Amino acid sequence: MVDHTYKEPILTLRDISMQFGGEVILRDISLDVLDVVRPGVNQGQVVGFYGRSGVGKSVLCRIIAGLLPPSTGTVMVANPQRPVCPGDVGFVQQRYPLFNHRTLLDNLLVAAGRKHSPADAKAKAQDFLIRFDLAPHRRKYPAMLSGGQRQRAAIAQQLLCSEHLIILDEPFSGLDIAMIDEVKKIIIEVTTSDELNTVVIVSHDLATTTALSDTLWLLGPERDAAGQCLAGATISQKHQYNLAEMGLAWQPGIQAKPEFVQLIEHLKDEIRKT
Amino acid sequence: MLKDLFVPNAKPRPSVFFTMVACQVVFLLLLWLFYPLQLFPTLGEVLASFKDLVTTQGLIQELWASLTTALGALAIATVLALVIAYLTALPFFRPIAYAASKMRYLTLTGLTFFMALMVSSGHQVKLSVLIFGATVYLVTGMTSVILTTTQEEMDHARTLGMSEWRSFYEVVVLGKLDEMLEVVRQNFAIIWTMITLVETLYQSEGGIGLLLYKQNRYLHLAGVVAIQLVILATGALQDYLFEFLRRMFFPYSDLSVAK
Repeated sequence: MVDHTYKEPILTLRDISMQFGGEVILRDISLDVLDVVRPGVNQGQVVGFYGRSGVGKSVLCRIIAGLLPPSTGTVMVANPQRPVCPGDVGFVQQRYPLFNHRTLLDNLLVAAGRKHSPADAKAKAQDFLIRFDLAPHRRKYPAMLSGGQRQRAAIAQQLLCSEHLIILDEPFSGLDIAMIDEVKKIIIEVTTSDELNTVVIVSHDLATTTALSDTLWLLGPERDAAGQCLAGATISQKHQYNLAEMGLAWQPGIQAKPEFVQLIEHLKDEIRKT
Repeated sequence: MLKDLFVPNAKPRPSVFFTMVACQVVFLLLLWLFYPLQLFPTLGEVLASFKDLVTTQGLIQELWASLTTALGALAIATVLALVIAYLTALPFFRPIAYAASKMRYLTLTGLTFFMALMVSSGHQVKLSVLIFGATVYLVTGMTSVILTTTQEEMDHARTLGMSEWRSFYEVVVLGKLDEMLEVVRQNFAIIWTMITLVETLYQSEGGIGLLLYKQNRYLHLAGVVAIQLVILATGALQDYLFEFLRRMFFPYSDLSVAK
Protein backbone atom coordinates (compact mmCIF):
# COMPACT_ATOMS: atom_id res chain seq x y z
CA MET A 1 0.00 0.00 0.00
CA VAL A 2 1.34 3.46 -0.97
CA ASP A 3 1.48 5.50 2.23
CA HIS A 4 2.29 8.78 0.52
CA THR A 5 1.91 10.65 -2.76
CA TYR A 6 3.33 13.87 -4.13
CA LYS A 7 1.45 16.96 -5.27
CA GLU A 8 2.65 20.35 -6.55
CA PRO A 9 6.23 21.65 -6.19
CA ILE A 10 7.04 23.82 -3.18
CA LEU A 11 10.65 24.62 -4.02
CA THR A 12 12.35 24.21 -7.39
CA LEU A 13 16.00 24.87 -8.22
CA ARG A 14 17.00 24.76 -11.88
CA ASP A 15 20.60 24.78 -13.15
CA ILE A 16 21.93 26.84 -10.28
CA SER A 17 25.57 27.78 -10.49
CA MET A 18 27.54 30.39 -8.61
CA GLN A 19 30.91 31.96 -9.25
CA PHE A 20 32.83 34.46 -7.15
CA GLY A 21 35.63 36.28 -8.96
CA GLY A 22 35.92 33.55 -11.57
CA GLU A 23 36.03 30.76 -8.99
CA VAL A 24 33.23 28.24 -9.44
CA ILE A 25 31.58 27.54 -6.08
CA LEU A 26 28.39 25.76 -7.17
CA ARG A 27 27.41 24.24 -10.50
CA ASP A 28 24.45 22.61 -12.21
CA ILE A 29 22.22 22.19 -9.17
CA SER A 30 18.66 21.16 -9.95
CA LEU A 31 16.40 20.11 -7.10
CA ASP A 32 12.69 19.74 -6.40
CA VAL A 33 10.82 19.67 -3.15
CA LEU A 34 7.27 18.46 -3.71
CA ASP A 35 4.32 18.64 -1.37
CA VAL A 36 4.14 15.19 0.16
CA VAL A 37 0.68 13.92 1.08
CA ARG A 38 0.07 11.23 3.68
CA PRO A 39 -3.45 10.03 4.36
CA GLY A 40 -4.73 11.22 7.70
CA VAL A 41 -1.59 13.23 8.48
CA ASN A 42 -0.87 16.92 8.07
CA GLN A 43 2.58 16.17 6.69
CA GLY A 44 5.08 18.88 5.80
CA GLN A 45 8.52 18.29 4.29
CA VAL A 46 11.91 18.01 5.97
CA VAL A 47 15.08 18.10 3.89
CA GLY A 48 18.44 17.22 5.43
CA PHE A 49 21.24 19.13 3.73
CA TYR A 50 24.81 17.85 4.17
CA GLY A 51 28.24 18.68 2.87
CA ARG A 52 31.73 19.28 4.15
CA SER A 53 32.60 22.59 5.79
CA GLY A 54 33.37 25.32 3.25
CA VAL A 55 31.87 23.40 0.33
CA GLY A 56 29.22 26.08 -0.36
CA LYS A 57 26.21 25.09 1.76
CA SER A 58 25.75 28.61 3.10
CA VAL A 59 26.01 30.07 -0.41
CA LEU A 60 23.30 27.70 -1.64
CA CYS A 61 21.15 28.55 1.40
CA ARG A 62 21.48 32.27 0.65
CA ILE A 63 20.53 31.59 -2.97
CA ILE A 64 17.48 29.55 -1.92
CA ALA A 65 16.48 32.32 0.50
CA GLY A 66 16.65 34.88 -2.33
CA LEU A 67 19.46 36.76 -0.60
CA LEU A 68 22.03 36.10 -3.30
CA PRO A 69 21.23 35.96 -7.00
CA PRO A 70 22.91 32.92 -8.60
CA SER A 71 25.28 33.37 -11.53
CA THR A 72 22.94 31.17 -13.57
CA GLY A 73 19.68 29.34 -12.90
CA THR A 74 16.47 30.05 -11.05
CA VAL A 75 14.88 29.35 -7.69
CA MET A 76 11.10 29.08 -7.69
CA VAL A 77 8.88 28.99 -4.62
CA ALA A 78 5.20 28.97 -3.60
CA ASN A 79 2.14 27.80 -5.47
CA PRO A 80 1.83 28.82 -8.27
CA GLN A 81 5.59 28.86 -8.62
CA ARG A 82 7.36 32.22 -8.92
CA PRO A 83 10.96 33.40 -8.59
CA VAL A 84 12.07 33.66 -4.97
CA CYS A 85 12.31 37.08 -3.32
CA PRO A 86 13.97 37.91 0.03
CA GLY A 87 11.36 37.23 2.70
CA ASP A 88 9.76 34.26 0.92
CA VAL A 89 12.06 31.76 2.63
CA GLY A 90 12.84 32.02 6.32
CA PHE A 91 16.51 31.57 7.14
CA VAL A 92 17.59 30.94 10.72
CA GLN A 93 21.33 31.47 10.65
CA GLN A 94 23.78 29.71 12.92
CA ARG A 95 23.92 32.33 15.65
CA TYR A 96 20.13 32.82 15.70
CA PRO A 97 20.11 36.54 14.90
CA LEU A 98 17.37 38.68 16.41
CA PHE A 99 17.07 42.44 16.65
CA ASN A 100 19.03 43.10 19.83
CA HIS A 101 17.41 46.52 20.29
CA ARG A 102 13.91 45.05 20.44
CA THR A 103 12.29 42.96 23.12
CA LEU A 104 11.29 39.41 22.27
CA LEU A 105 7.65 40.43 21.74
CA ASP A 106 8.75 43.35 19.53
CA ASN A 107 10.94 41.00 17.51
CA LEU A 108 7.95 38.80 16.78
CA LEU A 109 5.65 41.77 16.16
CA VAL A 110 8.00 43.34 13.62
CA ALA A 111 8.04 40.01 11.73
CA ALA A 112 4.30 39.39 11.99
CA GLY A 113 3.60 42.98 10.97
CA ARG A 114 5.09 42.27 7.55
CA LYS A 115 2.16 40.03 6.62
CA HIS A 116 -0.68 40.83 9.00
CA SER A 117 -2.67 43.82 10.21
CA PRO A 118 -1.50 45.24 13.57
CA ALA A 119 -4.28 43.47 15.50
CA ASP A 120 -3.66 40.13 13.75
CA ALA A 121 0.10 40.54 14.12
CA LYS A 122 -0.31 40.98 17.87
CA ALA A 123 -2.53 37.90 18.14
CA LYS A 124 -0.11 35.84 16.01
CA ALA A 125 2.91 36.97 18.01
CA GLN A 126 1.18 36.11 21.30
CA ASP A 127 0.19 32.72 19.91
CA PHE A 128 3.78 31.96 18.82
CA LEU A 129 5.13 33.04 22.19
CA ILE A 130 2.92 30.44 23.84
CA ARG A 131 3.56 27.73 21.23
CA PHE A 132 7.31 28.14 21.52
CA ASP A 133 7.23 28.30 25.31
CA LEU A 134 8.54 31.85 25.33
CA ALA A 135 5.61 33.71 26.90
CA PRO A 136 7.35 34.39 30.25
CA HIS A 137 10.24 36.04 28.39
CA ARG A 138 8.24 38.39 26.17
CA ARG A 139 9.65 41.56 27.76
CA LYS A 140 13.27 40.39 27.66
CA TYR A 141 15.88 41.56 25.19
CA PRO A 142 17.62 38.87 23.08
CA ALA A 143 20.85 39.24 25.08
CA MET A 144 18.90 38.10 28.17
CA LEU A 145 17.73 34.84 26.57
CA SER A 146 19.47 31.47 26.77
CA GLY A 147 20.78 29.84 23.57
CA GLY A 148 17.73 27.57 23.32
CA GLN A 149 15.26 30.39 23.92
CA ARG A 150 17.06 32.51 21.35
CA GLN A 151 16.89 29.71 18.80
CA ARG A 152 13.18 29.17 19.37
CA ALA A 153 12.60 32.90 19.09
CA ALA A 154 14.57 33.07 15.81
CA ILE A 155 12.56 30.17 14.35
CA ALA A 156 9.28 31.71 15.51
CA GLN A 157 10.24 35.06 14.00
CA GLN A 158 11.02 33.51 10.61
CA LEU A 159 7.87 31.39 10.63
CA LEU A 160 5.74 34.46 11.27
CA CYS A 161 6.58 35.99 7.93
CA SER A 162 7.93 33.30 5.57
CA GLU A 163 5.93 31.47 2.90
CA HIS A 164 6.00 28.00 4.46
CA LEU A 165 9.71 27.49 3.70
CA ILE A 166 12.37 27.78 6.35
CA ILE A 167 16.08 26.96 6.36
CA LEU A 168 17.75 26.10 9.67
CA ASP A 169 21.53 26.43 9.57
CA GLU A 170 23.13 24.06 12.09
CA PRO A 171 20.16 23.92 14.49
CA PHE A 172 21.74 21.16 16.64
CA SER A 173 25.22 22.59 16.86
CA GLY A 174 26.45 23.03 20.42
CA LEU A 175 23.20 21.86 22.05
CA ASP A 176 22.89 19.27 24.80
CA ILE A 177 20.68 16.18 24.40
CA ALA A 178 17.66 17.79 26.05
CA MET A 179 17.92 20.85 23.86
CA ILE A 180 18.32 18.72 20.72
CA ASP A 181 15.10 16.92 21.65
CA GLU A 182 13.42 20.28 22.10
CA VAL A 183 14.54 21.51 18.67
CA LYS A 184 13.43 18.21 17.10
CA LYS A 185 10.05 18.70 18.71
CA ILE A 186 9.80 22.20 17.25
CA ILE A 187 10.72 20.97 13.76
CA ILE A 188 8.10 18.22 13.94
CA GLU A 189 5.54 20.67 15.23
CA VAL A 190 6.29 23.11 12.42
CA THR A 191 6.16 20.47 9.68
CA THR A 192 2.97 18.89 10.95
CA SER A 193 1.10 22.14 11.52
CA ASP A 194 0.70 22.84 7.79
CA GLU A 195 1.04 20.45 4.87
CA LEU A 196 3.02 23.04 2.89
CA ASN A 197 5.49 23.82 5.67
CA THR A 198 8.96 22.76 4.60
CA VAL A 199 12.12 22.82 6.70
CA VAL A 200 15.60 22.51 5.20
CA ILE A 201 18.07 21.49 7.91
CA VAL A 202 21.72 22.24 7.20
CA SER A 203 23.68 20.09 9.60
CA HIS A 204 26.72 17.95 10.34
CA ASP A 205 24.66 15.84 12.75
CA LEU A 206 23.78 13.09 10.31
CA ALA A 207 21.85 10.80 12.66
CA THR A 208 19.59 13.43 14.20
CA THR A 209 18.88 15.20 10.92
CA THR A 210 18.33 12.05 8.85
CA ALA A 211 15.89 10.72 11.45
CA LEU A 212 13.74 13.82 10.98
CA SER A 213 14.01 14.06 7.20
CA ASP A 214 12.10 12.66 4.25
CA THR A 215 14.69 13.90 1.74
CA LEU A 216 18.45 14.29 1.88
CA TRP A 217 20.78 16.41 -0.23
CA LEU A 218 24.51 15.90 -0.21
CA LEU A 219 26.55 18.77 -1.64
CA GLY A 220 30.06 18.07 -2.83
CA PRO A 221 32.40 18.17 -5.77
CA GLU A 222 32.05 15.43 -8.37
CA ARG A 223 34.88 13.65 -10.10
CA ASP A 224 35.29 13.15 -13.84
CA ALA A 225 36.02 9.82 -15.52
CA ALA A 226 39.73 10.27 -14.85
CA GLY A 227 39.07 10.74 -11.14
CA GLN A 228 39.83 14.48 -11.15
CA CYS A 229 37.68 16.78 -9.03
CA LEU A 230 35.46 19.06 -11.11
CA ALA A 231 35.37 22.73 -10.15
CA GLY A 232 32.37 23.67 -8.03
CA ALA A 233 30.17 21.60 -5.78
CA THR A 234 26.87 20.12 -6.88
CA ILE A 235 24.07 17.85 -5.66
CA SER A 236 24.01 15.05 -8.19
CA GLN A 237 21.05 12.68 -8.67
CA LYS A 238 22.83 9.97 -6.68
CA HIS A 239 23.24 12.41 -3.79
CA GLN A 240 19.52 13.19 -3.61
CA TYR A 241 17.97 10.62 -1.29
CA ASN A 242 14.21 10.15 -1.07
CA LEU A 243 13.89 8.61 2.38
CA ALA A 244 10.12 8.27 2.00
CA GLU A 245 10.65 6.01 -1.01
CA MET A 246 13.37 4.15 0.87
CA GLY A 247 10.96 3.49 3.75
CA LEU A 248 13.11 5.48 6.16
CA ALA A 249 10.92 8.49 6.84
CA TRP A 250 8.39 9.39 9.55
CA GLN A 251 9.17 6.44 11.79
CA PRO A 252 9.67 6.90 15.50
CA GLY A 253 12.75 5.05 16.73
CA ILE A 254 14.13 4.83 13.18
CA GLN A 255 17.67 5.38 14.47
CA ALA A 256 17.78 1.85 15.88
CA LYS A 257 16.96 0.16 12.56
CA PRO A 258 19.85 -1.54 10.71
CA GLU A 259 18.88 0.10 7.37
CA PHE A 260 19.11 3.50 9.00
CA VAL A 261 22.52 2.74 10.53
CA GLN A 262 23.66 1.49 7.13
CA LEU A 263 22.45 4.69 5.46
CA ILE A 264 24.34 6.84 7.96
CA GLU A 265 27.55 4.88 7.27
CA HIS A 266 26.96 5.28 3.55
CA LEU A 267 26.46 9.04 3.96
CA LYS A 268 29.65 9.31 5.99
CA ASP A 269 31.57 7.49 3.27
CA GLU A 270 30.11 9.72 0.59
CA ILE A 271 30.97 12.87 2.53
CA ARG A 272 34.53 11.61 3.08
CA LYS A 273 34.90 10.95 -0.65
CA THR A 274 33.95 14.55 -1.46
CA MET B 1 39.45 40.12 48.76
CA LEU B 2 42.43 42.45 48.21
CA LYS B 3 44.23 39.99 45.98
CA ASP B 4 41.23 40.20 43.60
CA LEU B 5 42.44 43.67 42.70
CA PHE B 6 45.46 42.15 40.99
CA VAL B 7 43.83 39.14 39.33
CA PRO B 8 42.93 39.55 35.62
CA ASN B 9 39.16 39.89 35.02
CA ALA B 10 38.42 39.46 38.74
CA LYS B 11 35.25 41.00 40.18
CA PRO B 12 36.13 42.56 43.55
CA ARG B 13 33.27 43.38 45.93
CA PRO B 14 31.92 46.94 45.40
CA SER B 15 32.99 47.95 48.91
CA VAL B 16 36.56 46.78 48.23
CA PHE B 17 36.61 48.50 44.86
CA PHE B 18 35.34 51.86 46.17
CA THR B 19 37.74 51.75 49.10
CA MET B 20 40.55 51.21 46.63
CA VAL B 21 39.40 54.22 44.54
CA ALA B 22 39.19 56.39 47.69
CA CYS B 23 42.71 55.32 48.70
CA GLN B 24 44.06 56.15 45.26
CA VAL B 25 42.46 59.62 45.38
CA VAL B 26 43.84 60.29 48.87
CA PHE B 27 47.26 59.09 47.76
CA LEU B 28 47.22 61.48 44.80
CA LEU B 29 46.16 64.37 47.03
CA LEU B 30 48.91 63.56 49.53
CA LEU B 31 51.44 63.32 46.72
CA TRP B 32 50.30 66.70 45.53
CA LEU B 33 50.42 68.22 49.03
CA PHE B 34 53.95 67.05 49.66
CA TYR B 35 55.27 67.13 46.10
CA PRO B 36 58.92 68.26 46.40
CA LEU B 37 59.18 70.05 43.01
CA GLN B 38 58.08 73.68 43.03
CA LEU B 39 57.26 73.69 39.30
CA PHE B 40 53.77 72.47 40.04
CA PRO B 41 51.49 74.68 42.17
CA THR B 42 50.44 73.34 45.54
CA LEU B 43 46.91 72.22 46.38
CA GLY B 44 46.42 75.30 48.55
CA GLU B 45 47.50 77.63 45.77
CA VAL B 46 45.14 75.96 43.30
CA LEU B 47 42.22 76.18 45.75
CA ALA B 48 42.96 79.85 46.41
CA SER B 49 43.19 80.53 42.70
CA PHE B 50 39.93 78.67 42.10
CA LYS B 51 38.21 80.87 44.70
CA ASP B 52 39.63 83.98 43.06
CA LEU B 53 38.56 82.82 39.59
CA VAL B 54 35.01 82.20 40.79
CA THR B 55 34.59 85.39 42.82
CA THR B 56 36.43 87.98 40.76
CA GLN B 57 36.85 86.61 37.23
CA GLY B 58 33.46 84.99 36.60
CA LEU B 59 34.66 81.42 36.13
CA ILE B 60 31.15 79.98 36.42
CA GLN B 61 29.67 82.41 33.88
CA GLU B 62 32.57 81.78 31.46
CA LEU B 63 32.16 78.02 31.92
CA TRP B 64 28.44 78.32 31.21
CA ALA B 65 29.11 80.38 28.07
CA SER B 66 31.58 77.80 26.79
CA LEU B 67 29.33 74.90 27.76
CA THR B 68 26.28 76.27 25.94
CA THR B 69 28.37 77.00 22.85
CA ALA B 70 29.86 73.49 23.01
CA LEU B 71 26.47 71.83 23.43
CA GLY B 72 24.97 73.84 20.58
CA ALA B 73 27.86 72.94 18.30
CA LEU B 74 27.67 69.29 19.35
CA ALA B 75 23.93 69.10 18.66
CA ILE B 76 24.29 70.53 15.14
CA ALA B 77 27.44 68.45 14.44
CA THR B 78 25.69 65.26 15.59
CA VAL B 79 22.78 65.79 13.21
CA LEU B 80 25.13 66.63 10.33
CA ALA B 81 27.40 63.66 11.05
CA LEU B 82 24.48 61.25 11.35
CA VAL B 83 23.10 62.39 8.00
CA ILE B 84 26.51 62.09 6.31
CA ALA B 85 27.23 58.70 7.92
CA TYR B 86 23.80 57.24 7.08
CA LEU B 87 24.08 58.48 3.51
CA THR B 88 27.06 56.14 3.05
CA ALA B 89 24.38 53.52 2.32
CA LEU B 90 24.15 55.22 -1.07
CA PRO B 91 27.32 54.78 -3.14
CA PHE B 92 26.90 58.33 -4.49
CA PHE B 93 27.55 59.83 -1.06
CA ARG B 94 30.43 57.59 0.04
CA PRO B 95 33.15 59.94 -1.27
CA ILE B 96 31.60 62.77 0.80
CA ALA B 97 31.77 60.72 4.00
CA TYR B 98 35.32 59.64 3.13
CA ALA B 99 36.38 63.24 2.48
CA ALA B 100 34.63 64.50 5.63
CA SER B 101 36.44 61.89 7.69
CA LYS B 102 39.84 62.86 6.27
CA MET B 103 39.23 66.56 6.99
CA ARG B 104 39.95 65.94 10.65
CA TYR B 105 43.61 66.38 9.69
CA LEU B 106 43.00 70.05 8.82
CA THR B 107 44.23 72.53 11.41
CA LEU B 108 41.70 74.77 13.10
CA THR B 109 43.91 77.86 12.93
CA GLY B 110 43.93 77.67 9.15
CA LEU B 111 40.19 77.05 9.06
CA THR B 112 39.16 80.03 11.15
CA PHE B 113 40.45 82.37 8.45
CA PHE B 114 38.16 80.87 5.83
CA MET B 115 35.26 80.72 8.25
CA ALA B 116 35.76 84.42 9.07
CA LEU B 117 35.43 85.22 5.36
CA MET B 118 32.22 83.21 5.07
CA VAL B 119 30.28 84.32 8.16
CA SER B 120 29.75 87.73 9.69
CA SER B 121 30.08 87.60 13.50
CA GLY B 122 32.76 86.24 15.82
CA HIS B 123 30.19 83.98 17.47
CA GLN B 124 29.29 82.42 14.14
CA VAL B 125 32.96 81.86 13.30
CA LYS B 126 33.43 80.15 16.66
CA LEU B 127 30.33 78.03 16.22
CA SER B 128 31.07 77.06 12.61
CA VAL B 129 34.65 76.06 13.43
CA LEU B 130 33.42 73.92 16.33
CA ILE B 131 30.68 72.35 14.21
CA PHE B 132 33.13 71.60 11.42
CA GLY B 133 35.74 70.16 13.79
CA ALA B 134 33.23 68.00 15.69
CA THR B 135 31.44 66.82 12.54
CA VAL B 136 34.56 65.42 10.89
CA TYR B 137 35.46 63.46 14.03
CA LEU B 138 31.88 62.27 14.52
CA VAL B 139 31.60 61.15 10.90
CA THR B 140 34.76 59.07 11.36
CA GLY B 141 33.41 57.33 14.46
CA MET B 142 29.88 56.92 13.13
CA THR B 143 31.05 55.51 9.81
CA SER B 144 33.16 52.98 11.73
CA VAL B 145 30.06 51.93 13.68
CA ILE B 146 28.10 51.49 10.46
CA LEU B 147 30.93 49.42 8.97
CA THR B 148 30.60 46.93 11.84
CA THR B 149 27.23 45.86 10.37
CA THR B 150 27.54 42.21 9.37
CA GLN B 151 26.14 40.33 6.42
CA GLU B 152 24.25 38.18 8.92
CA GLU B 153 22.48 41.21 10.43
CA MET B 154 21.39 42.53 7.03
CA ASP B 155 20.37 39.05 5.80
CA HIS B 156 18.30 38.60 8.93
CA ALA B 157 16.29 41.73 8.17
CA ARG B 158 15.94 40.79 4.50
CA THR B 159 14.64 37.31 5.33
CA LEU B 160 11.84 39.02 7.23
CA GLY B 161 10.76 40.57 3.94
CA MET B 162 12.11 44.03 4.69
CA SER B 163 13.12 46.21 1.75
CA GLU B 164 16.74 47.42 1.52
CA TRP B 165 15.81 50.80 3.05
CA ARG B 166 13.74 49.21 5.79
CA SER B 167 16.54 46.72 6.53
CA PHE B 168 19.01 49.61 6.73
CA TYR B 169 16.68 51.54 9.04
CA GLU B 170 16.11 48.54 11.30
CA VAL B 171 19.67 47.23 11.48
CA VAL B 172 21.83 50.32 11.06
CA VAL B 173 19.72 53.27 12.21
CA LEU B 174 17.64 51.76 15.03
CA GLY B 175 20.03 48.91 15.84
CA LYS B 176 23.08 51.10 16.30
CA LEU B 177 21.63 54.26 17.90
CA ASP B 178 23.21 53.33 21.24
CA GLU B 179 26.62 53.02 19.62
CA MET B 180 26.12 56.38 17.89
CA LEU B 181 25.44 57.99 21.26
CA GLU B 182 28.67 56.46 22.51
CA VAL B 183 30.54 57.99 19.56
CA VAL B 184 29.07 61.39 20.47
CA ARG B 185 30.12 60.94 24.10
CA GLN B 186 33.67 60.01 23.16
CA ASN B 187 34.03 62.91 20.74
CA PHE B 188 32.60 65.58 23.03
CA ALA B 189 36.10 65.87 24.51
CA ILE B 190 37.36 67.08 21.11
CA ILE B 191 35.00 70.07 21.34
CA TRP B 192 36.54 71.10 24.66
CA THR B 193 40.00 71.01 23.09
CA MET B 194 38.78 73.09 20.18
CA ILE B 195 36.70 75.58 22.16
CA THR B 196 39.62 76.66 24.31
CA LEU B 197 41.62 77.33 21.15
CA VAL B 198 38.83 79.12 19.26
CA GLU B 199 37.95 81.33 22.23
CA THR B 200 41.48 82.68 22.28
CA LEU B 201 41.20 83.57 18.60
CA TYR B 202 37.79 85.28 19.03
CA GLN B 203 37.97 86.94 22.42
CA SER B 204 34.89 89.19 22.21
CA GLU B 205 32.54 86.65 23.82
CA GLY B 206 34.86 85.45 26.57
CA GLY B 207 34.58 81.83 27.61
CA ILE B 208 36.65 79.50 29.70
CA GLY B 209 39.22 79.19 26.91
CA LEU B 210 39.95 82.90 27.09
CA LEU B 211 40.21 82.69 30.88
CA LEU B 212 42.70 79.85 30.51
CA TYR B 213 44.64 81.80 27.90
CA LYS B 214 44.93 84.79 30.28
CA GLN B 215 46.15 82.62 33.16
CA ASN B 216 48.73 81.08 30.84
CA ARG B 217 49.86 84.44 29.52
CA TYR B 218 50.50 85.85 32.99
CA LEU B 219 52.05 82.58 34.17
CA HIS B 220 49.36 82.02 36.82
CA LEU B 221 50.03 78.31 37.00
CA ALA B 222 47.67 77.78 39.91
CA GLY B 223 44.88 79.37 37.86
CA VAL B 224 45.75 77.20 34.85
CA VAL B 225 45.54 74.04 36.97
CA ALA B 226 42.29 75.19 38.59
CA ILE B 227 40.64 75.83 35.22
CA GLN B 228 41.93 72.53 33.82
CA LEU B 229 40.46 70.73 36.82
CA VAL B 230 37.13 72.48 36.27
CA ILE B 231 37.13 71.38 32.62
CA LEU B 232 38.08 67.86 33.70
CA ALA B 233 35.23 67.73 36.22
CA THR B 234 32.77 69.11 33.65
CA GLY B 235 33.92 66.45 31.17
CA ALA B 236 33.53 63.70 33.77
CA LEU B 237 30.02 64.95 34.56
CA GLN B 238 29.19 64.98 30.84
CA ASP B 239 30.43 61.40 30.52
CA TYR B 240 28.22 60.40 33.41
CA LEU B 241 25.21 62.15 31.85
CA PHE B 242 25.76 60.45 28.50
CA GLU B 243 26.09 57.10 30.25
CA PHE B 244 22.87 57.81 32.11
CA LEU B 245 21.07 58.70 28.87
CA ARG B 246 22.37 55.52 27.22
CA ARG B 247 21.10 53.34 30.05
CA MET B 248 17.76 55.15 30.08
CA PHE B 249 17.04 55.09 26.34
CA PHE B 250 18.95 51.95 25.33
CA PRO B 251 18.67 49.49 28.23
CA TYR B 252 19.81 46.61 25.99
CA SER B 253 23.08 48.35 25.26
CA ASP B 254 25.22 46.85 28.03
CA LEU B 255 23.55 43.44 28.23
CA SER B 256 26.07 41.58 26.10
CA VAL B 257 29.15 43.41 27.37
CA ALA B 258 31.57 41.33 29.47
CA LYS B 259 31.61 42.67 33.00
